[in-house]
Amino acid sequence: MEIKKTVIAGTLESSDIQITLSPATGDNLEIELESDVLNQFGNQIKKVITETLQKFQITKVHVKAIDQGALDCVIRARTITAVQRALGQTEPAWEEL
Amino acid sequence: MTKIRQIFLQIPSLKRKWEQFLHQQGLTSFSEAEVTNLDFTLGLYEGQKLLGTGSISDNVLKFIAVIPGELSAAYFNQIVSALQSYLVQNGQTHMMVFTKPQYEASFNYVGFKTLTKTIQGCLLEAGNPGIQQYFKNLPHVSNQKQHQVAAVVVNANPFTIGHRYLIEKAAQENEIVDVFVLSANHSLFTSDERLYLVKLGVADLKNVRVFPGGSYLVSYATFPAYFIVSKDNVIRYQTTLDAQLFRDQIAPVLNIKKRYLGDEPFSHTTNVYNQTLKAVLPPKIQVVIIPRLQQGNQIVTATAVRQAIAHQEITTVKDFLPEITYQFIQDHQSELLERIKKGVNINGN
Repeated sequence: MEIKKTVIAGTLESSDIQITLSPATGDNLEIELESDVLNQFGNQIKKVITETLQKFQITKVHVKAIDQGALDCVIRARTITAVQRALGQTEPAWEEL
Repeated sequence: MTKIRQIFLQIPSLKRKWEQFLHQQGLTSFSEAEVTNLDFTLGLYEGQKLLGTGSISDNVLKFIAVIPGELSAAYFNQIVSALQSYLVQNGQTHMMVFTKPQYEASFNYVGFKTLTKTIQGCLLEAGNPGIQQYFKNLPHVSNQKQHQVAAVVVNANPFTIGHRYLIEKAAQENEIVDVFVLSANHSLFTSDERLYLVKLGVADLKNVRVFPGGSYLVSYATFPAYFIVSKDNVIRYQTTLDAQLFRDQIAPVLNIKKRYLGDEPFSHTTNVYNQTLKAVLPPKIQVVIIPRLQQGNQIVTATAVRQAIAHQEITTVKDFLPEITYQFIQDHQSELLERIKKGVNINGN
């Protein structure tokens, strides 16, 4: 599946992460991550985002993530919210949680 | 526990408190006109105490200030988040900030990219479509680099034979001419109408391409003073940012080597802008100033056309207009008058 509009979830506050999904410029998942702990946790953050997107079968999207030290559960929650906004789903997708 | 609340600046007592707060945080140089143009203002409160504030005008974040202290960065991030979600909820996913250089790092930290900066000010953007997307949408020719490209930037409010003269002149002297039509919707004619009339008005000139200026050429973000009356020093530093952005980002992408300007006998703001362009663009980009076209002993100007529309005597300016523009005004006369009645400024640019 492919994301066709731009959506944001999350804030820029401490311990949160802001996830922006927008149409991909190329043919796959693109993740642009900004974080103070990029060296320590960059790969882990990207992995959580990628896995969450995969659960929704999203293969083509541009992700911009501005991390302020979010825990994995927060990253997952914000990514799910962003995806649901992009897909226009209002009911939480419990099975993805 | 802090809370974000909207501040209604229409209420004089709230507005006074808000202005006082901005003064305390060292934000003093803003005009009444700029404040009336705000779409949305919010405050961050702890109980009744104001800790910070931020505003939105179009897609531009403005007047962001927080109280100093160890939590100021957290307050700042909360305000920027709230402003962003307001914009996104209203369908605006691209945003810009025009701020002092000392705040550049704070904005970079929350994902804003610097477009250009001077010692006095700095322009940043976030979200998409960003400037790279804007470049992608511009049509390129394969051997762009070998061509002599010139640029003309017009508001064309509306398109007159004066604009046509300037573009024609550039088209005779260069292989390709790129015409940018300002995209901000703060003029009597809407951006779509202006773009449409320019496109039709130069359709016969085969080496001329017409683009919307987007957020990057004399936009409400880069150059608000073009649309709202401002002091000279304000105009000067805004025009410098605009000129630098053109020189460093836009011109290299399209290989623009010359910029054509109409000389400016009337508008003070545009005159200052021309001076700045002359100071900033060379030697990378040559500035060519063309004297205004005269019709009889009158100088052709779109301002006169707008005034004639307001006074319902458009036949007096028929000589200033190409057939298409004249026809368009005749067809839309009542609508244009309606806009003037609603308060669109017709005497500015």
